[in-house]
Amino acid sequence: MLACRDIHKHYGGVAALKGVSWSLLPGEVHALCGENGAGKSTLARIFCGITAANSGEIIFNGQPVNWTGPQAARQAGLGIILQELDLFAHLSIAENLAIGNTRMESGSWVSPAALHEAARPLLRDVGLELDPELPLENLSVSQWQLVAIARVLGLNAKVIFMDEPTSALTDDAVERLFGLIRRLKERGVTIVYVSHKMNEIFRICDRVSVMRDGEMIGTDVCAATSIEQVIQQMVGRTMTATRRKKIATPKESFLEVRNIFTRKLRDVSFTLGRGEILGVAGLVGSGRSEIGRALFGRSPVTQGSMILEGRDFKPLTPHDAVSRGVALVPEDRQREGLISGMSIRQNTSLASLSKYSRASWIDREGEATAAKEALANCRTKLTDLELPVGSLSGGNQQKVLLAKWLLTNPRICFFDDPTRGIDIGAKDDIYRLVAELAEKGLGVIWVSSELPELLVNTHRILILHEGRSLGILDSPNATQEDIMRLATGHPALS
Amino acid sequence: MIDKFWKYLKYHGQPFIGLVLILVLGTVLSPHATDGTIVFLSPGNLTDVLLQQSEIGIIALAMTFVIIGAGIDLSVGSVLAFSACVTALMLMVWNPHGPTALQVAIAILAASVGGALIGALNGFVITRIRLQPFVMTLATMIGVRGFTKWLTGNVNVDLGFDATPSGRFAELFSSKPFAISLWLSLAIVAHLILTRTVYGRYLRAIGENERAAAYTGLPVRKVRLAAYIGCGLLAAWAGLIHAARSHQGNPNDGIGYELDAIAAVVIGGTALAGGRGSIIGTVTGTLVLGLLTNVLRLHMVDSNLELMIKAVIIIAAVWLQRRNTGVHGEL
Repeated sequence: MLACRDIHKHYGGVAALKGVSWSLLPGEVHALCGENGAGKSTLARIFCGITAANSGEIIFNGQPVNWTGPQAARQAGLGIILQELDLFAHLSIAENLAIGNTRMESGSWVSPAALHEAARPLLRDVGLELDPELPLENLSVSQWQLVAIARVLGLNAKVIFMDEPTSALTDDAVERLFGLIRRLKERGVTIVYVSHKMNEIFRICDRVSVMRDGEMIGTDVCAATSIEQVIQQMVGRTMTATRRKKIATPKESFLEVRNIFTRKLRDVSFTLGRGEILGVAGLVGSGRSEIGRALFGRSPVTQGSMILEGRDFKPLTPHDAVSRGVALVPEDRQREGLISGMSIRQNTSLASLSKYSRASWIDREGEATAAKEALANCRTKLTDLELPVGSLSGGNQQKVLLAKWLLTNPRICFFDDPTRGIDIGAKDDIYRLVAELAEKGLGVIWVSSELPELLVNTHRILILHEGRSLGILDSPNATQEDIMRLATGHPALS
Repeated sequence: MIDKFWKYLKYHGQPFIGLVLILVLGTVLSPHATDGTIVFLSPGNLTDVLLQQSEIGIIALAMTFVIIGAGIDLSVGSVLAFSACVTALMLMVWNPHGPTALQVAIAILAASVGGALIGALNGFVITRIRLQPFVMTLATMIGVRGFTKWLTGNVNVDLGFDATPSGRFAELFSSKPFAISLWLSLAIVAHLILTRTVYGRYLRAIGENERAAAYTGLPVRKVRLAAYIGCGLLAAWAGLIHAARSHQGNPNDGIGYELDAIAAVVIGGTALAGGRGSIIGTVTGTLVLGLLTNVLRLHMVDSNLELMIKAVIIIAAVWLQRRNTGVHGEL
């Protein structure tokens, strides 16, 4: 029903798509996978009229089409959920759902009551029980994602492209999304599921297509292929999907968090040892990022105490926290991590600039040398440090942020979902890097939405539910089921 | 080095196009003196332009910092009048026997401290109470103007032309070598701070993405506060030149200077959204505005038409800038 023939697209001199031909069947869930930069997002954007191809044609219901813009594609019944959420922070949930939706927004006069009525069933569909009047800025990243999904549902689209829809979702929201996908499929909607996550693809998709370096490598029926085979097609070589690495046993604890309360945390306690990797698991709004904010002086601790290396630790600003050796790699790379107009060198050195300067004067040679070395330690393959950091792939951007913090010689690293939305190769590099940091005696706190990742790479896992700690499990003996039970608010049976 | 120069021109050369264009235009259109020389290119005419632009030029330097830090300072015109009037009052009115050299120095110091304090007030309220920069500096623009009028009783305070220290102050501060070299040396210092120091790097990071800068542990408030203090200080120094050039402190002077300074900054390629900009661009933008006025005045073009042409120049300059992409300027 929807197909493309020989699509070419290049940005400047760089070819993003090199003659892609592809077709979709009605009512199928079709996975599109490939490493970052393989061209998946570009292809999805061309289908939906956001980007124009340089050559080639799109065929929809047997007719060649030529979108004049996203609105034209949307009216024809093509919806897309973008990876970078294209929503409006200052508008309410209902207004976000209505924007660009001609059925909810007929004429120039909008009745708030009608808008809210129209919004409710959509929100119920995605399992977001919130007031449609709430402005989006009060929502978490995961809730934004759900609003983005609800918005596309409101279009009554015949084909929906989902670009990494679960990258910011917690496991319960993912389950709800899968239920929704199944219902949509029954209605005959075609879904293109762009993702890195193999287990999700094999659970929910009928067929899987793999792209690599701007080319379509192959399409298979899911039942007739395997995770290993798809990964092999993605990377073009054989590679083990996960590896259980031996991590050195942690030494004495040096961070003690005692019964702290913040705006979102209720009575949370834990300890962190030198060389320990502490995982943090929890659902949307469980307060898992809030631990980082408390440690980093972004969210005031109203009760309880934190003791770092035997001394009281009360950071009022991130500046205080950094001076005590705390590093934080935030969840939202674009908004909280990178200065996208600055070069790779400038981003890498930003947190430790005083080390390469004398009387405020920057020694650029020293800065570049240090940046290069730190990036190499993070296994970043770069040609030119002077390029804007925005030109890098998600995985390399994340490595720039890691390198930035390693240059500060931190004692505690808080990683907030560091592998979100990055390709398998880069994930593997990050796993190894974190293990190396722990071997050097750093304490690592690692928040993640992917439970298998936590189980394999951490010593212990702290589970949060609605701001409370429901237990700390030893990773080698824990299972995903144990964690999910706690994270959904059911204490351990034994 | 030559490589770097071309790279810089490629990404940041846009303001120079305007400058070259105006120089060529000025040369071609210029009236000729009786001996056949081109009036526009005569050293006297060109240094006149530099002197005329020195006040706006100095303010625009500090404005560049504030704007790169994603702020704005509308109070500079009022601060300029405040500084000029405080200096004149201290030299003449509050000092009936005529000032000594030491007292001239104290007056200059007082005007400078006063300007810096107004900047500090702006910066403090903007960073601590988190009022929007536009609103806060709009308030100080109005308030400082009122305070200056109240101080002077809304009358002009003359500096005098005689050989007293006061007269010599006016002579020195209004002289071309002093005013022009003050502007240009401040420009060099500002350029180096912006491109070569930790402060400059922090300011650009904060201007582009304050949240990420805070998450990096940068002293966001201090950096922004310092930009406003600098802006108040430099507006006060521009006020000294202004007082000397007009031989008086006039509480109603400097109205609209903030907009001229912002125009110069914007023509120079600095983004109003913050994060991106350069001192070289701002100096070029200031020169473009000054030379344009000069070219038109040499032809006795109606001053109302002059304003309309300026408006077109601003739009054209900013429109051209959109093609300007690249990493933050570091020459």
